[in-house]
Amino acid sequence: MGTGPDGNRFELLAAAGAVADGTLLVESTVGRLLELVVPAFADIATLDSISPDGELRRLGSRVDAPRRREELEAALLRRRPLPDAPVGLPRAIVSAESQLLRSVTDEQLRMIASSDEDFELLRSLELSSALFVPLRARGRTVGALALGVGTSGRSYDESDLRYAEILSGHLALALDNATLSQTITGLERRLEATLTNLAEAVIVREAGGEIVFANSAAARLLNLGSVSEVTTATPQQLMELYDVFDEAGRSLELADLPSSHAGRGEEPDPLLVRNVIRATGEERWLLHKATPLFDADGTLSLIVSVVEDLTEVKRAELAQRLLAEAGQELSSSLDYEQTLQRVAQLAVPGLADWCGIVMRDEGDTLRQVAMAHVDPDKRVLPREFTTGAAEAIHTGRAHMTAEVIVVPLAIAGQPPIGALSLVMAESGRTFADSDLALGAELGLRAAVAVENARLYTERSEIATTLQQSLLPPDLPEIPGYRVASLYRAAGDQNDVGGDFYDAFEVPGGWMVVVGDVAGRGAEAAALTSLSRYTFRTAGKLLGDPIAALEQLNAALRERPRLSLVSVCCVMLGAVGADATADLVLAGHPPAYHMRRGSSHPVGVFAPFLGAYERGGWQATTIRLEPGDQLVLYTDGVIDTVGQAERFGEERLAQTLRDAADAADTVRRIERALVAFAHGSQVDDTAVIAVERLPSEPSAGRGEFRGDGVRVARN
Amino acid sequence: MTRSIRVTVQWQVGQTLGLSSHLRLDTRRTRNDAIVSVEGDVDLTTFRAVESALDAAREGATVLVLDLREVDFMDTSGLRLVISEQQRAETDGYRFVVVPGSGKVQRLFEIAGFPGGHPLFADPPMESAGG
Repeated sequence: MGTGPDGNRFELLAAAGAVADGTLLVESTVGRLLELVVPAFADIATLDSISPDGELRRLGSRVDAPRRREELEAALLRRRPLPDAPVGLPRAIVSAESQLLRSVTDEQLRMIASSDEDFELLRSLELSSALFVPLRARGRTVGALALGVGTSGRSYDESDLRYAEILSGHLALALDNATLSQTITGLERRLEATLTNLAEAVIVREAGGEIVFANSAAARLLNLGSVSEVTTATPQQLMELYDVFDEAGRSLELADLPSSHAGRGEEPDPLLVRNVIRATGEERWLLHKATPLFDADGTLSLIVSVVEDLTEVKRAELAQRLLAEAGQELSSSLDYEQTLQRVAQLAVPGLADWCGIVMRDEGDTLRQVAMAHVDPDKRVLPREFTTGAAEAIHTGRAHMTAEVIVVPLAIAGQPPIGALSLVMAESGRTFADSDLALGAELGLRAAVAVENARLYTERSEIATTLQQSLLPPDLPEIPGYRVASLYRAAGDQNDVGGDFYDAFEVPGGWMVVVGDVAGRGAEAAALTSLSRYTFRTAGKLLGDPIAALEQLNAALRERPRLSLVSVCCVMLGAVGADATADLVLAGHPPAYHMRRGSSHPVGVFAPFLGAYERGGWQATTIRLEPGDQLVLYTDGVIDTVGQAERFGEERLAQTLRDAADAADTVRRIERALVAFAHGSQVDDTAVIAVERLPSEPSAGRGEFRGDGVRVARN
Repeated sequence: MTRSIRVTVQWQVGQTLGLSSHLRLDTRRTRNDAIVSVEGDVDLTTFRAVESALDAAREGATVLVLDLREVDFMDTSGLRLVISEQQRAETDGYRFVVVPGSGKVQRLFEIAGFPGGHPLFADPPMESAGG
């Protein structure tokens, strides 16, 4: 080949430089480079890239052979150079120095070839000279170029090698730029895909204000049909679609938003705004965030705004706060009309522009009891809403339109006592579905408050009723048995609570129970009542004392505070000759089995009800002969305070000795306690004696009641 | 030598109510242990004071001991405190033990389903010198 540079060679360099501008993809760049080199500078050329971890990848091949071109190009493209060949491409890469084979010998081809087949392929290229040049760009070897001449009759010399080295610099740069550019494009695509699928709205503006990117979430949040509607609008045009307020209700301008601050180069704090879409009145809570992006020289280039939809969160928070505040108001006052007025005020303006409450009076007339409006001058009941309230009270159902919500004030299962109306008016907002649930909850709480207030005014009456329900019942007749009872309440009349007893028929027999609730006062009274009725219901349904105790245990375990109850219960089964009783204790002192004047404690000790999930309660079966008695009592008996000590179990056992019958047993205990007691007592006292009658069932029923029956003071 | 703090409170609740109940509470703390010793009666009129002592002692203790050896009388109010503390210990992960003391108190625990040898019970704590 020629020794000096000629016109063609300069053109080739210029063309290679043009390819290096990085706008082409790697594949097209390789094609263009090989086209430039073959046939102008070589008959055969291959181009390889080297990945940063050293892997060689053949990017392209070109052969100037009219008949066998495609076949040879494909074979060369598939060809994998032998990595440790002492001459040729791998050698040039490893040494980072170009190589000239001035006249190619079969011996050299053998060294290069990876197999016999490969050797034949190389021979068929009819090479006379070859050049192997590493491609270096930005300080590293990014690829290698192999060039060959032969069929054209040309050959390479030292000057061709130097030229190839210059050319390779241009090729390397073109290849590297194309690779880089492809990587960047891939990144951009991935970024765009990510932003597009993001749940948050993303809007990117140029420094001048023009919107250059918006994702579909942005279009949704702005209530626009498509992304292009967002990108073709100006920020001011977008702003005019909404009324925007801050949390305190102040109206906001475009200049107040974080994106405007970012546009002035500031780094603004996030801002929570209430957005009302002018066209529909729909309300959304949006958190605006904006970040300015600067060029390397410090000029503002882009403003990235991210808008998060916090409507659900904000509504939930508003609802929670409203209900909490309402709950506080409702529980703090017993004047319910004043309370309802405060509730109405709480709902405005957070939930509605207007809130009114009407109550049904005696005789079914409606009376407005509360009214709140954002504007103090407008606290007048709009007439058209009275009808809605009347309907809600009549049907017991809430109803809702975009501007009005009416909910009945009712406690579950009771007729409504009034109605609460919420109206959107001046603000142009509309209600969301979740507002109906919130309104209903508010209505329920208001109804409960009204009921509480009413209950309180009737307090003395209710207290009396409650005490009545806790007083010992008149015990029923149990066929084949005689029952006697004693009940002494300790302390003040109003300080109810403590002991209970009960006797009732169940499938397969009768149950008799004595129980004791730890503590005194209203809470203990409620617990006593719950225990007695739960045990009675469970006993009647299940007919098994342990199953009934487990039910009561479960009910007690459900209470928020530790609720402990001790119980001694007896299931009286078959009567007659085979009469037996199953006796179960739960945290309770033993019962006494009395036969012919002597007494024995009975029962297996086990935990209180309400203490643990499982108590391991066990029944003791007792055979009852005619005249036998079972004596059940609460610890008030053995804990009775005397001058120096407590009454105790031993004294009780002595007291029972030689008692003639159930009535006598109870009478003896009563007398002994009166004689023993010193000072006022702190605990209730309850005793039940169950005696098996000597003969078949008769109407015999003995009951003794001490002074304490009508809540006597000790 | 253990560093310990000792707090003693004397209650005479019974006097105002005309009852015989009396109560003396003594709380000792070492680095990880708290021992609440009760003397007198634990019943409806006094249990709240014991409850307050336990509330104060529990703070920062890995072992909380309720020493009932000097208790003359206890009723279900006391048992309620013990069961409540037992459940709290299980939830909050500290150890709660009771030294039951007198036969009457042991009988009460037996009735409530805590037989002798139950893991709730512990031997009397070691008396620290000068504690």
